[in-house]
Amino acid sequence: MSGILFRRTWAAQRVRLSFVMLALAVWGFLLPAVYATFGKEIGALLQNGAFANILDIFSRFSGGDVFSIQGTVALGLVHPIALALVSIQVVGFAAAAVAGERQRGTLEVLLARPLERRVLYTTLLGATFLYAALTEAAVVGGIVAGAVLFGVASELQPIDVALCWLNAVALFGVLGAIALAASVSFDRLGPALGIALGVTLVGYAFEFLGTLWPDAAWLRPFSPFRYFQPMRILAGTFEPRDLLVLGAIFAAAVAWAAWVFPRRDLAAPS
Amino acid sequence: MPDRGTRVPFRRVDAIATQGLTKHFGLRRRWPGWSAGPAPTRALDDLTIAVQAGEIFGFLGPNGAGKSTAIRLFLGFLHPTAGRAQVLGLDVATAGAAVRGRIGYLPGGIALYDGLTGTQLLDYLGAFYARPPVLRASLVDRLELSGRDLARPIRDYSRGMRQKIGIVQALQHDPELAILDEPSEGLDPLMQRAFYAILDERKAAGRTVFFSSHVLSEVERVCDRVAIIRAGRLVALESVAALLARRRRHVEARLDAPAPALVAALAALPGVSAFEARDDRLAFGLDGDVAPLLRLLERAPLADLTIEPARLEDAFLELYDEPAG
Repeated sequence: MSGILFRRTWAAQRVRLSFVMLALAVWGFLLPAVYATFGKEIGALLQNGAFANILDIFSRFSGGDVFSIQGTVALGLVHPIALALVSIQVVGFAAAAVAGERQRGTLEVLLARPLERRVLYTTLLGATFLYAALTEAAVVGGIVAGAVLFGVASELQPIDVALCWLNAVALFGVLGAIALAASVSFDRLGPALGIALGVTLVGYAFEFLGTLWPDAAWLRPFSPFRYFQPMRILAGTFEPRDLLVLGAIFAAAVAWAAWVFPRRDLAAPS
Repeated sequence: MPDRGTRVPFRRVDAIATQGLTKHFGLRRRWPGWSAGPAPTRALDDLTIAVQAGEIFGFLGPNGAGKSTAIRLFLGFLHPTAGRAQVLGLDVATAGAAVRGRIGYLPGGIALYDGLTGTQLLDYLGAFYARPPVLRASLVDRLELSGRDLARPIRDYSRGMRQKIGIVQALQHDPELAILDEPSEGLDPLMQRAFYAILDERKAAGRTVFFSSHVLSEVERVCDRVAIIRAGRLVALESVAALLARRRRHVEARLDAPAPALVAALAALPGVSAFEARDDRLAFGLDGDVAPLLRLLERAPLADLTIEPARLEDAFLELYDEPAG
């Protein structure tokens, strides 16, 4: 890790990171408010009425809903709004970290310093993980703050919330590592960003289709999102295997980048 | 020209030394059932040079000749296809970061972090070195970058100012070796002069400058030795003085009175070529020493005499006119 590069990366990202974290915190805060205000009552009505199957459909996709506090936390973490905001910061940063500098021509100015490519990569990987941790902390922090303010915090187990945060960080750490691996492999931002967004969007589509359409259930194991099930964690059945799978994907992405980046030729920008 | 295939041990005194350094891009990979693809590009072929410590070394060639490829190999941005390179006694393939810690580099058409101010950029780029930026104040002063300029974001800089800040970032930590790619690009004549003075000081301080350019007049002005490459291959490696000494000078003379004996003697003088005598005017090319010519003209009825110095540009063009070997 290079402290100089890390501080510079932080300084360059802090404004965007602040806005993204603020938006995520507000998003997270609103969900317990919705749950406490009318989600609870509507949930009770649905469970007793003819629309129980609607709850069942909701519960299939990572359990995101506003009819239980667990569903509210899950919704806060897996809703496309939250995923898009976290992806902007984590996946967007990682995809542009090397390929973007290479495209602008500033990478050669940086690598002309006594800075090894391996150190550059590990520093950017560390920054990617930090952004994943902070953005997910903003959502979870917003949710917890909302739950406390609206008097529903007692329905949550702190350890389960912490495990949710950890699993979410692992998920976006993996997506960030894939984006960074793509970034070190290309001279242009376009292909790196395309691969990074492709993995994220296709992975989300696989999980979405697989959960809602039984015939597409075979797609789910191929999606990183399959290995983050907040509803299950909040129900007290955390699966350490999910973290192991994410860890294996992360290791593969890091191994690719560690092999390719130091061996790549960085020809003059054209 | 170095003998191709000769492999001699590197000398410790060389700031840069290469042996058979070769870089081909797009090497064909042979997979069963796959077509071979396009032929590889020979960006650099068997380059063997030695840049001595303390000299200003010019590296000449037109665009696409392989200058930037060679520089990128020295910096470890590219991996050689064959051959090896040492910079400041260290192998660039195994000690890239250590090498870069002792050099300063100005890329051609430098790209900078537009969101930073000049001071922030210099602080950031200088912080990676173990050496403090001892020369920054002097360079900033010489290149007329005011405190107000340095407080502005780089996105507001003109091309010339970007080049100046590029020069400062390359030299501010007093590197043992400066690798400068087209360093005077974008500088006005006054700043070019200031820059040449900076280079002279680097040399006086025992530092080495590796200078890539296609502005031949400036190479002639500042460099001790030059290497000329064409299509990735070295075609000349010698001192500027030696290169110029071998070049043809152009001589023009105007006579006050007819002097047929003098004209005949001049036409027969060794080294004289393309001799033309029209009325009172004489014009010819002269290779080699000028002393015999001056002795002959000593008692001639001369009204005017012009001996144009040999120029590096002529040498360069001559080497480029020769068929590729």
